[in-house]
Formats: sequence, structure tokens, C-alpha cells
Amino acid sequence: MTGKARWLAARLGNAVVVVFGVATASFLAVHLAPGDPVRTLLGPQALTGTVEQVRHELGYDQPLLTQYLRFLGSLLHGDLGTSYQLQEPVSRLILSQIGSTAQLAVAGFVLAMAVAVGLAIATSGRRPFWRRVSSLFELIATASPTFWTGIVLLTIFSFHLNLFPAAGAGLRGLVLPAVTLALSLVGVFTQMLRQGMEQALDQPFTLSARARGVGETSVRATHALRHALIPVVTLSGWVVGNLLGGAVVVETLFTRQGIGQIMAAAIASRDLPVVTGVTIVSAVIFIVVNLVVDVVYHLVDPRLRTEGRA
Amino acid sequence: MNSERHRRPPGRVIRLAAAALTLLASAGCGVLAGADPASAPDGVLTFATNAQPECLDPQVSPLDVTALVDRSVFDSLVSMTPDGKFHPWLATSWTVSPDQRTYTFHLRHGVVFHDSAPFDASAVKATLDHAVDPKTRSKYAARLVRGYTGATVLDADTVQVALSRPDASFLQALSTAYLGIQSPKSLSQNANNLCERPVGSGPLRFVSWDHNSKITLTRYDAYDWGPASAAHTGPTALRGVVFRFVTDDSVRFGMLASGQADMVDFLPNSKVATVRRSDALHVYRAPAPGAVYQVYFNVSHGPLADERVRQAVRASIDLDALVKAVTFGQFQRAWSPLGPATLGYDPQVVGSWQHDPALAGRLLDEAGWTGRDAEGFRTKNGVRLSLLWPYSPRVEQPDRQVLAQGIQAEVKQAGIDLSFVPTDAGKLGDEVVKGNLDIFDNSFERAEPDILRYIYSSKETPANGGGNLSYIASPELDGWLDAAVATSDPATRAAAYGKAQQYLVQHAVALPIWVPEHIVGALSRVRGLSFSPEAQPLFYDVSLASS
Repeated sequence: MTGKARWLAARLGNAVVVVFGVATASFLAVHLAPGDPVRTLLGPQALTGTVEQVRHELGYDQPLLTQYLRFLGSLLHGDLGTSYQLQEPVSRLILSQIGSTAQLAVAGFVLAMAVAVGLAIATSGRRPFWRRVSSLFELIATASPTFWTGIVLLTIFSFHLNLFPAAGAGLRGLVLPAVTLALSLVGVFTQMLRQGMEQALDQPFTLSARARGVGETSVRATHALRHALIPVVTLSGWVVGNLLGGAVVVETLFTRQGIGQIMAAAIASRDLPVVTGVTIVSAVIFIVVNLVVDVVYHLVDPRLRTEGRA
Repeated sequence: MNSERHRRPPGRVIRLAAAALTLLASAGCGVLAGADPASAPDGVLTFATNAQPECLDPQVSPLDVTALVDRSVFDSLVSMTPDGKFHPWLATSWTVSPDQRTYTFHLRHGVVFHDSAPFDASAVKATLDHAVDPKTRSKYAARLVRGYTGATVLDADTVQVALSRPDASFLQALSTAYLGIQSPKSLSQNANNLCERPVGSGPLRFVSWDHNSKITLTRYDAYDWGPASAAHTGPTALRGVVFRFVTDDSVRFGMLASGQADMVDFLPNSKVATVRRSDALHVYRAPAPGAVYQVYFNVSHGPLADERVRQAVRASIDLDALVKAVTFGQFQRAWSPLGPATLGYDPQVVGSWQHDPALAGRLLDEAGWTGRDAEGFRTKNGVRLSLLWPYSPRVEQPDRQVLAQGIQAEVKQAGIDLSFVPTDAGKLGDEVVKGNLDIFDNSFERAEPDILRYIYSSKETPANGGGNLSYIASPELDGWLDAAVATSDPATRAAAYGKAQQYLVQHAVALPIWVPEHIVGALSRVRGLSFSPEAQPLFYDVSLASS
């Protein structure tokens, strides 16, 4: 086994442990929360006979350990179960929703990154007035709750100017939700990038690039930016969490499809298979992103590459 | 080598960013040049409401929004009008046996479900059997037809339904969307997918459900069997209805004001006056029948077990002023646990108590709460007069939370320490079953006074899956409530319900707060809107005028 393969195997082993832990934690969270899960599921007006029947069907009358082993057993078969509420396979439910969330998250991320890169290149270590304007914008964007930003954008661009629909699919319907989500990230991105770039611009390699006659834009866009990207990559875990969390709020406000919404409803109604299913899928996304980040690290930071070989 | 690097174009990230910006910019241009985002005049009505169904099988879901959507997809055997009368629909006529336990329905001929299955007596039997089948996991419909013991198909156009005991509320139950008749073909072949793909014989066909976003219905062109109570016959004038699920009140209102929705549900009380002043918008409203929004006093636990304390709490609250302030003057203050739009409502209870802080003080003194602690609250034997009112922040509507804070402030004047405590839904359920609380609040929409039995009968304790949140066990009250549902004579029923309401008010078992109203905002081009007896908007007679 080569070093790289061993590294990958260890990572995958870790991933399995994490998924197992996450599955167990979400199972326990649903089962140990106060209240009768079957009554919560069926609501106050279901007949007592129905409640007892469903309790038996779902295995809630079994000891917790039996329920847990059963749950693990079906999970090992790759079966996420069937939603108690929608009476639909959880895997199908998640597949039908995750595309919409991914679309929103990617659009929000790309938009935030594009604006942040533009602002950082334009204002790092120069144009003090515009740098201050940009800083103010970053502060406001970071400090505003996503919900509030969304309402403001809706009021202006949808209700008054009628440019974009308040609720709707397609590219046009994606614009306001993506901008709302991007605004929650753009402040942090810009500040990190600018700080990194300003550090980089003081470095000897910048001086030597300038000495070789490289133009200012090129110095910033290639040399300094690459240096400044490293801390942003480190932040990826936070970014993914923020994107998924922000997506719940944005999806609610703009009545978009998405797994966040499904999850919120499932938690309220104790729809165990959906709660564990979405949690496991989110954990897998998280793990994959972190794996990708590690690989990207190796690409962005040459020091890691040589260390790896040593 | 070095010189080559200089000339290399900016890095990959920059190119990606530039591409993304171009993409977004072109998307934006497309929008500006594209169609008007306001709903196009194509005969499809966009209706924005605040919640989405969890399952579209009408026999499963208890939610109002399910009934709202399913009302257009499913027909019922009979239709009810707000005046309490029943009219033919899928049943052209019916007879009731002298012992009130057998209903014989003669069915309409030629009705075809959306999946081409014909409607006949077996469809009625299949639907009722489905409602009470434990496998259905019914959350509401099974309760509506609790006395159902079975149906007999006499011939294709005649069905006999048997009940275990007389039930005066049975026809009303059948008239609701919750007992809409399903295609028997769908019930057997689509059994695992009834939540996601409802098949009825109603004026609009189900097309799709994008979870969290919208449900699309389209006109059923063959429809020719509308209820006798409708304003027109034949298919709908609308080509379809799109239900959008918009949780936020201000976003729903914005969609209406900008013409992105033709109608919005639950117009906030604070916006009603604005909409009224506009020529382009209209307000439609229907008072909800059934149990009004009320506060239940736990009569079998703690300080409120003493009737004088309950009277004192009631007398200490200036309800007229409170309701007016909280609802922006939109809701009528309630006097009876039963709404004025419900059969059997007793107007005699109006004005039967007053806001009287002095009386409240005297009653509390009489009840022995004469001491005062450091914070000014009344005490008895060193124990503070404190009341617990738990609620679920996820479920409780904001105006009700404001009201509770108002009540809290009013009773504090009388020396009562009322805690209005946000509680996790699961824990709240446990406490409700155990009766570990002093005050609870809710409302139940139903066009049938029998709802009182669900919330005040001693057999309907929360532990039994009932709604008796006053935890009252009064043989007198049980007697009236049971008698009223065992007879079909309207006068006898009304008399029994009158006694029940007077009892509840006289003994301060609950405090009726306000009569909920379904307030809908609509563009002026929406014509022909009416409401079901349960205060739900009906789309069958609606049309869109070309403006």
C-alpha cells in the first residue's frame, strides 16, 4: 500500500466512524427527547387505538436497544427507511430535495467568492476611501440576519420593482435567494482575503515579482490572491455549515424546495427516519468537503506537498 | 521560464469568478427582458397560504391546509351550507332509519374519478373503510366517523352505512373534505402513495407537489357534478390553482400587493385596513365555526380548582380592550366557548360577566388568598398564587402570544403570578396528558356543536386522546353533550347545547377570548369567492376577470 492509499484508507475509516456516531446520536436525540413520539407524530386528535397500533408497527413498544439494533441493521443495508409523515422512502425524499439546496448553496458560494475576490483585489492596501466603504459594507452584510436581508431584498426587487419573483423556481427565482445567502458570507470572505493579500503584498516574493516587471493587477490576482486563499480554504467547514444553515432560512423565506425545510418539519413531528437520514447525508457531505479541502490544501500550499513526500 | 509565468493570464479562480459573474449578469438581463413576473392572465389562480400539508390523503391529515387543497380534488357525499342545511352532491338523496343508526345514500350516476375509475357504492364503502382502517394511521377522519361499523353495497347506486349509535354530527362529518370520496382504484393500486398522489372526482385534478414550495391543481374538464349548493354547474372557470406555501406574513402580503399572488390566506390583522383602502385589493372574511379561541382553566388541579379563583381571573381581565388591541380591532370578542356561526350557539351568555377588578379582589380574599409576598403577589399559607400556562412557540400564533402577555399583566394587578412558558412540543404533550398545568389555550374549527363534547366531555381526557383541557368531569355537562348528539331534532339539540354553554360560562370553566376569522386578501380580478361552512375558501365558483 502506498502512502497515499494508506492516507485515504485512514480517512475513509474515520468517515465510517463519524457516520456511525452521527447516526447513533440522532437516533438517541429523537428517542430520548421528552414526550410520546407516536402521539407527537399522529397529533392530538388521533384515536387511542390508532396510536397504539402505530406504536407497535413502528416498534416503539420494543426495548430501546432492540430498536437501535434494528435501526443499525437497516442502515447497514443502505436503507434509510420510510418517512412516517409522508409515507415515502427517505432516500427518494432527500434525492428530490437535495438538488435544490445544492443549487442554492453553490450559487450563493460562487457569488460571495466572486464579489469577495473583486473587492479584495480592488481595495487591499490601497484606495483608503473605497477600502473604508468596502469595510462598512462587509460589516453590514455580516451583521444582518439572513432573514432580514432577504425581506429587504424581496421588498425592493420583488414587491416594488417586480424584477424577480418572491417565490419561484428556475434561474430567475434563484437570484434573490442566492444573493441573500451570498451576503451572509461575503463580509467574512472579503475580510479574510484582504488581510491575507495585504500580508502577501508585504512579502519579498511580491517585491521580486514587481521587480520582474509584473503588472499590479497580475501581482494581486495571481501571486497575492493564491497566498490569501489558504485561510479561506481552512474555513471551508465553517462555510459548509453556514451554507446549509443559511439555506434553511432562505428556503423558508423564498418557499424553495430543499432538505433544510424537510428536516425542520421532520424534527417537529418526530419523523425519525427523515431526521436520521438527513443528518447522515449532511455528515457525509461534511466529510467529503473536508476530504476535498485536504486535497485542495496540497494543491494551493506547495509546502504541504514537499512535507508529504519527505 | 520566469518571463512565461508573467504572461500567464490571471489564475483559475479569477477566471471562474469572471465566468460566474457573466452568468449571473446574463441571467439578470434575461429577467429584465423576460415576461412580467406578475401572474399571467391565463386563468390559473395563485393562492399563497402559510403552511403546507404533511400528507394529501384526506383521511390521514388533520390539517386545515389539507382540507383547503383536497376540497377541490375530492367530492363529498353531501354538501353543507353555512346555514347548517345539507344539499345533494355525490349522493342525490338519503334516508335515515328511525333509530338513527342506518343511513341509506342514493348515489349520482355517471361520476368518473380523475383516474377514469367510475364512482359507485363501492367507492363510498372503500373510502369509509379506509378512514377507520388502523393501517391508514388517520389523525382526524377516523375520529369524525368514530361510530362507523360498516357499509353495505345494496346496488351500484345505493349504499347503506351503519353506525354503532345515533350521531347527529354524521352528515356534517361526511360533508367535510376529510371524508372526500377517493377513487377505489387509487386506494388499492396507489395504496403506498396516497399522501403524494390524491385521486378524487373533484373539479380540480392533482398535478404535482413540490415539497415546501407549491401544489399545482388543474381543471378537470369532465366535471359535471358540483354540489347543489354551488353557484354554477360544469367545470371550473379557472384553468387551475397553484397553492404556494409562504410562511412569512409580510412576504405573503407583499406577493398580493405586487400581484404575484391572486389571493393570500391569513392576511395579518395589521394589514386589513391597508387592503381595505386599496381599489386593487379586496378583503374576504368568514368567522370560523366550532370552538372559539379560548383559555381553559384546569378545574381539577391547583388554585383554579376553586371556582372563585377562576371567576377572579376572569373578572380581572379587560377582554374588550385586550382583544381590540391585539387584533387591531379585527376580531370579535367571544362570550361563549362556541362560535356565533355554529348551530346551537346561545346568545344568552353575551354580557354575562364584566371586567371588575374589585370583584376579583373580593373573590380572591374569600378564597383565602389574603397574604402578600415581597413582590406583591397574593399568598395563602405562605404559598404564592401562581399559575402555569405552557405553550409551544412553534405552534402558538404570534397574536395569541401577545394576548397571553396582556392577560399576564392584567392578572398581575389582581396579585396573581401567571407564567406563560415556552415549552418543547414533546414535553408539552406529556404535561398535557398528566394535567400538570393551570391554563391552556386553543381553538377548533368545526361546523358542528358536537366539538364541545371533544373539549368538555369527561370521556375526552387528553390521556384518552381527547381535548378536555379544563380536565372537567361533570355528569351534568356530559349528559347534555351526549343527549345533543343522540338526537337529530334541531330544537332539542340547541336546548342541550344552550345549557352546556351556560354551565361552562357560569362556572368559569374556560374564558372565551375571540371568534377566529379566516381573512383572505385577493386581487380585485378574483370573482365568485365563497367559504365552506368551516370557513375555508372554495375555488369551484371562482373566476378571474380579465383586467
